[in-house]
Amino acid sequence: MAELLFFIVGPLAVIAAVGTVALRNPFFAVLSLVVHLLALAMLFMLLQAQFVAVVQVLVYVGAVMVLYLFVTAYVGGDADPRGGSGPSLRWLSYAIGASLVVLLAITFIGSGLQAIDTRGAPYDPELGSPGQIGELLLSRYLVVFEGSALLLLVATVGAVVLARRRRGVLPGEDRTISALDLFAPTGTGSMREGVGAINPVPGAIRARITPQTGAASPPSAEFDDGDDDGTEDRR
Amino acid sequence: MPLLSTVGYYEPWYVQILKALVVFGVGFSLVPLALLYERKLLGRFQNRPGPNRVGPFGTLQPAADILKLLGKEQFRPTNAIGWLFILSPLVAMVCALATFMLIPFSGAPQDILGTPVGLYGLDSDIGLLIVFAFASVGSYGVLLGGWSSASKYSFLGAMRAAAQLISYEIAQGLALLGVIISAGTLSLTEIVDEQSALWFVIPQLVGAITFFIATLAEINRTPFDLLEADSELVAGFMTEYGGGRFALYYVAEYVHLIVAGGLFTTLFLGGWHLPFVDQPGWLDPFVVLAKTIVVVTFIVWIRATLPKLRYDQLMTFGWKVLLPIATVNALVTAVVVVAW
Repeated sequence: MAELLFFIVGPLAVIAAVGTVALRNPFFAVLSLVVHLLALAMLFMLLQAQFVAVVQVLVYVGAVMVLYLFVTAYVGGDADPRGGSGPSLRWLSYAIGASLVVLLAITFIGSGLQAIDTRGAPYDPELGSPGQIGELLLSRYLVVFEGSALLLLVATVGAVVLARRRRGVLPGEDRTISALDLFAPTGTGSMREGVGAINPVPGAIRARITPQTGAASPPSAEFDDGDDDGTEDRR
Repeated sequence: MPLLSTVGYYEPWYVQILKALVVFGVGFSLVPLALLYERKLLGRFQNRPGPNRVGPFGTLQPAADILKLLGKEQFRPTNAIGWLFILSPLVAMVCALATFMLIPFSGAPQDILGTPVGLYGLDSDIGLLIVFAFASVGSYGVLLGGWSSASKYSFLGAMRAAAQLISYEIAQGLALLGVIISAGTLSLTEIVDEQSALWFVIPQLVGAITFFIATLAEINRTPFDLLEADSELVAGFMTEYGGGRFALYYVAEYVHLIVAGGLFTTLFLGGWHLPFVDQPGWLDPFVVLAKTIVVVTFIVWIRATLPKLRYDQLMTFGWKVLLPIATVNALVTAVVVVAW
């Protein structure tokens, strides 16, 4: 049973990985990656690593890949990739790929072949249980664990700072977004205010969103009829 | 050699196959009951009789509904991506039924015709994680279905689904941390056994409320049914679906409803445990079902009471209210458990 599953899931993982690289439509490339990660999860299960398998599905398939799909569904979709890499970058990527293959080959041939004549690592039912992994994370790998937690925290704060800039950037404007913008007085425009939801930039109560000017642009003369009664001439 | 996971109790292989069929059958046959129950209850809440034409007291209404749907044309938009369009409802339904497999209806194996059988599909030491894994794969059914329909309404519904499900999944998981820390296990039967003295809903009241709200969002119930949002998006991600494929989504929705009730019962309402009473083992499944019905009634009650949230309110509530509460709850529980 395990052998049969391996020969179904193993090739599936490889095919899906190739598909991720080869498919031109980004949405389908991401879908292929999802299939690849699911196949990997099944391989983990065949290796008796149930916890890792389920967490793989939970984190990668359930959260990370949904975000990827979200983005590609919005901005991807057409078969042509946007932009391309320069020739030097391309050769660099070939070199990195080739050296990775050599590295993995050395690793596998060096360690894997030794194990062929043996019975392999002994199976311990406790190995890889949630309790054991938790204990290892909080004792032997504590520093690494805390370090990666800190890294994630920094990434989260960065995302919040980037997303919560206090004023929408005007078209053509070159402005550095600083953490101080977080403490700017309200009404100077969050992202939502910036697109005209609530009184945008002071003095720009009549800011309009037009295809020409973009979001949160100052009121242009086109919309101003000269009086201040709040009615504009519509063109 | 266990193939899936360390499990509490092993049956012979033929019992396992039978059990898979029974779980499927029970899950499927609970759907029309839940459907009728919700429609009748909604009718009562809105001061009308509800369905009462088909069969005695309208009891055959779900059968009529499902037969009608199955008899309809299998419609597919011209620009839809065929295989994804067909696959998505299947993914949604299979994942919904798969979570039903994890809900335990009795702890100790019951004696059925001389063979001891555990009344659950699977009792694993990572059972709770499996529930969440299937739930998150199930969200692909919604997401891909909406995207592959090649319709703007479906697309918007699907994108809302992706954002909403991710946001509330985090709050849902964090709200459960309190229970997991208190019980010290991820196995659903062991979590229930930990509640033999005191149901977790009392010490984990904050976690229970947070989990309940996040679950409402996860299963797209009012006031979080923005994936469908019939007033704005026609029917959201399933706008373009009809006939049998729509029926699959419909079934998945009601399975989600039942699973939500069962999961809340298992995690917070003590599963098959009754206070002050030690009932015989064959009553356990009925106790679980009765508690599930109570939770489902509560969910329907909320649907009849509350209006829909606006989309930005939904996201703000999830990230700025539910998530901090769930985090603080987990932290306090951890401190209390360690300090005790």
